[in-house]
Amino acid sequence: MEQRPGTAAARPPLRVVIVGGGTAGWMTAAAMNRLLPARDYAVTLIESDEIGTVGVGEATLPHIKLFNDMLGVDEARFMRDTRSTFKLGIEFRDWDLPGESYIHPFGAFGEPWGGVEFQHHWLRARAEGLPSFPLQDYSFAVAAARRNAFAFPDRDPKSIRSTFSYAYHFDAGLYAEFLRAMSVERGVRRIEGMVRDIARNPETGDITDLTLKSGERVAGDLFVDCTGFRALLLGGVFGAEWEDWTHWLPCDRALAVPCEISGPPTPHTRSTARPAGWTWRIPLQHRVGNGYVFSSRFIGDEEARETLLAALDGRALGEPRLLRFSPGRRKRAWAGNCVGIGLASGFLEPLESTSIFLIQAAALDLVNLMPKRGAERIDPRLSDEFNRLCEMQYDRVRDFLVLHYAANRRLGEPLWDYVRSMPLPESLAHKIELFRTRAMLPNYQYGLFARDSWLSVLAGQGIMPEGYDRLADAFDLSRLGEQLDSFRSRIASTVEAMPEHGAFIAGYCGTQGFSPVREKAS
Amino acid sequence: MTGTPLLTRVVVAGRDAALWLAAAVVARGLGPAGVRVVAAELPTRLRPSDVCATLPALEAVHARLKVDEAALIRAAGGAYSLGQNFVDGTGSIRSFFHAWGSYGTPIEGRPFFQHWLRARHLGLDAPFQDFCPTAVAASNGRMLLPDADTAAFGRADYGYHMNAQAYSHYMKSVARALGVETHEADSLDIELDGAGETIAAVALDGGRRFGAQFFIDATGEDGLLIASLGAGWESWRGQFPADRALVAEAPALAPVPAFAEIRASEQGWTVLHPCRRATGVAHFYSSDLQSDEEALKAADAVSGANLSYASVAAKKQGRRLAPWRGNCVAVGAAACAFDPVHDVDLHAVQLGLVHLMSLFPRTESFAAERIEYNRRLNSSFDRVRDFQRAFYALAPFKGAFWNKARSGDTPPSLAHKIATFSARAEIAPLEDESFDADSWRALFLGLGATPESWPPAVDRVPPERLNEEFRRVLGFIKTKILEQPAHDAYLRAVDAGAAS
Repeated sequence: MEQRPGTAAARPPLRVVIVGGGTAGWMTAAAMNRLLPARDYAVTLIESDEIGTVGVGEATLPHIKLFNDMLGVDEARFMRDTRSTFKLGIEFRDWDLPGESYIHPFGAFGEPWGGVEFQHHWLRARAEGLPSFPLQDYSFAVAAARRNAFAFPDRDPKSIRSTFSYAYHFDAGLYAEFLRAMSVERGVRRIEGMVRDIARNPETGDITDLTLKSGERVAGDLFVDCTGFRALLLGGVFGAEWEDWTHWLPCDRALAVPCEISGPPTPHTRSTARPAGWTWRIPLQHRVGNGYVFSSRFIGDEEARETLLAALDGRALGEPRLLRFSPGRRKRAWAGNCVGIGLASGFLEPLESTSIFLIQAAALDLVNLMPKRGAERIDPRLSDEFNRLCEMQYDRVRDFLVLHYAANRRLGEPLWDYVRSMPLPESLAHKIELFRTRAMLPNYQYGLFARDSWLSVLAGQGIMPEGYDRLADAFDLSRLGEQLDSFRSRIASTVEAMPEHGAFIAGYCGTQGFSPVREKAS
Repeated sequence: MTGTPLLTRVVVAGRDAALWLAAAVVARGLGPAGVRVVAAELPTRLRPSDVCATLPALEAVHARLKVDEAALIRAAGGAYSLGQNFVDGTGSIRSFFHAWGSYGTPIEGRPFFQHWLRARHLGLDAPFQDFCPTAVAASNGRMLLPDADTAAFGRADYGYHMNAQAYSHYMKSVARALGVETHEADSLDIELDGAGETIAAVALDGGRRFGAQFFIDATGEDGLLIASLGAGWESWRGQFPADRALVAEAPALAPVPAFAEIRASEQGWTVLHPCRRATGVAHFYSSDLQSDEEALKAADAVSGANLSYASVAAKKQGRRLAPWRGNCVAVGAAACAFDPVHDVDLHAVQLGLVHLMSLFPRTESFAAERIEYNRRLNSSFDRVRDFQRAFYALAPFKGAFWNKARSGDTPPSLAHKIATFSARAEIAPLEDESFDADSWRALFLGLGATPESWPPAVDRVPPERLNEEFRRVLGFIKTKILEQPAHDAYLRAVDAGAAS
């Protein structure tokens, strides 16, 4: 039972022990430090210098800005310290068909007219034979990304430059360091060490304390497992059941390597489909992060390594590092007095940059639902709600990722033939069918992704709707062509006036040595 | 686009407000897109004493139909409603108000409610509803007219209490003005296609035949059209104790309250819906615990012993397993018969029409639309059902009716919601809700469910800051309420055409 309020002051603070100091560990620590009353909680994070993190670039979603704002982070300083660039979306190359490309922007396509979503008007214009341009041409964020331009969104909702948001590409290792410095300064206790032993209460099974290699014992009331794939506590101790999604997401390995810069920084991530998976390209201020996510069923490590190295824009900075994973999630991310956050709770490939978002969502939900000072034991009503929210987030992201694979026309390549014909989650098959028949988009109130994201990928993967919303037919046809044209010209003239992304970074948050001029491709 | 023919003709069959809302909404939205609407009107089942009480959301439908609010209120002898006052006639709890507006404003990004809860433990005495401008206006006999101040504060909505017959007539005229072709009939026969999976036509009074590609069933609980296609029914009898309804009328109250009042008695509950020229009275009870005569006495006692036009009828709760079957969509009670406690009858119609409009088929091939419609409607209906079931599951009132209410079945989705609230003062977020988080809070709290804790972040706010915020809210409410017209005065202004 939770304690009755009023008695709390007599009890010692609730001890939270976070194990693992990567992005998940330090985001959780920072959120707890910022949001929990200091007198009621003692937050300790144990990390080992012996366990490295993968120091490639990491791409994020716009939600990260809300998280940083909540922490009171100065954006320019954070961007300098983490070598960040801006991100307006992801370019998907060759995913539908080799040679084709589309961008999934953090922004809107067109605008609703007469209460009817834009894609219906666009489809109607095509059906009526009006001159029209590709859907991608009606997104401001796409146009800015294609032109390598960046400026902050306009606060005036009438401005076309208000129709997008942005995220960052950063060095995730540096982000963890940034949060560590801030959190330690604000009162989080950091212990360097490796966990050697885990002691449990024989009656409840809850973890009571950890013994480190140094012999130090760290006792806790709540343990947060941020140990990554190892899931030292949640998997190792609680054996939390795993739900495997390999049949929908067959990629199970990644090779990652940074390389030198050889051109101006793009304000977007690039994802290029390859015979047995896809490669990422993430521009940072000081280097470019690269990786090949592939399925070991369809390609060997060596061949994957060669594919990756051949795809780099510049000289590789080191040897590619191999990561193994399985897609899926733990059925209970919170078991007993242990909560898994980050890779310890589940894994979804970085195709849509969701891993940091999933950490953020879980950390904030945990802060809301965690035991309070003086609680005698874990309240299952709270862990049930946490697990329900976690499941919702994972399932929704999963459907969106699977869509990228399922809808492809890369005939004759075994991986792509497999994913094109595999049985889909029922929830996804239904969404595809609704778009195919009438251009209808999923509209969640909670979780990822929003309508325009679905639109960009459904259309980008080559699914052309057969019909559109009947209500669009009530709109004055004689005005439609002109409105479409005027929307495009508003985009064009606004993007034209925007600064180049590299120049914007140099002026706002460039690190020493970052020069958009020097780095221009010859 | 596919070659199958466009869907251009819809027959709406039914009666009363559901019929005219459906016909008008389809004609308004799709008339310009080439859809013709034919309405087949069956005899009304409304009694002169019936009141139609609406949720604030209906205003959005009215706005689409360009209904002039003041004209509607005049024509339907209507009054405004700022919410529902729940009174315990069995003496267990103090009364509470379920308002159509916000309770407080968020502090440091967290719901006001959680701060209020903490403040209570720090010694605050003021009830939750004192921080709701809508509830305070209602208890002071005032209106709360939305303006920039109330918008900055939060939600400030209102619904209506109207004479149901008058409302139906009004909506009929709206539908006709929108080009709906109307036919009246005493009876209706349904002609299925060869396989019995779709409706080919309806025949009125054994003769006049109206074929269409698509049909809307607005026939009320009978669900004449949808039932002919074999759509099964899920009964909620195990969750809701009332299986009988007594409806009557009492003289108008002076002044006319701007809210509904629900009074729990030991063998059921009675609602008063104040209108301009009369007060709607309805009493709901369980036939195995109270006779019709006893019900009449109970209702009479609540309304001051001057009831007229009393009549009784059976009441059922439940929904179709699939509100869209074949080429027929059932709306309102034909799709879902809700418990009467939160005045959601027209809301059921609205939910159906909103989703039908966003999924209206282009052609006669619409399997995906049907699956999606049924998914959304079932989910939306179940969320309203959960809200209603919460009233009975948590009812703290004394008496056999309430024992039966509490011991009824509680769906897992609601049990989870109650558990999350009790443990942490959080409203577990679910898709497709009709009632917002403040409605859930007001209901849970009013019925006596008290959270055992609140999110720890709330404890970071210094008590002085809370005091300051609370004083600010109370100050705002006091100022704002004093600016408001009395409800009666506002109604007179509406009558005179002077209200905006």
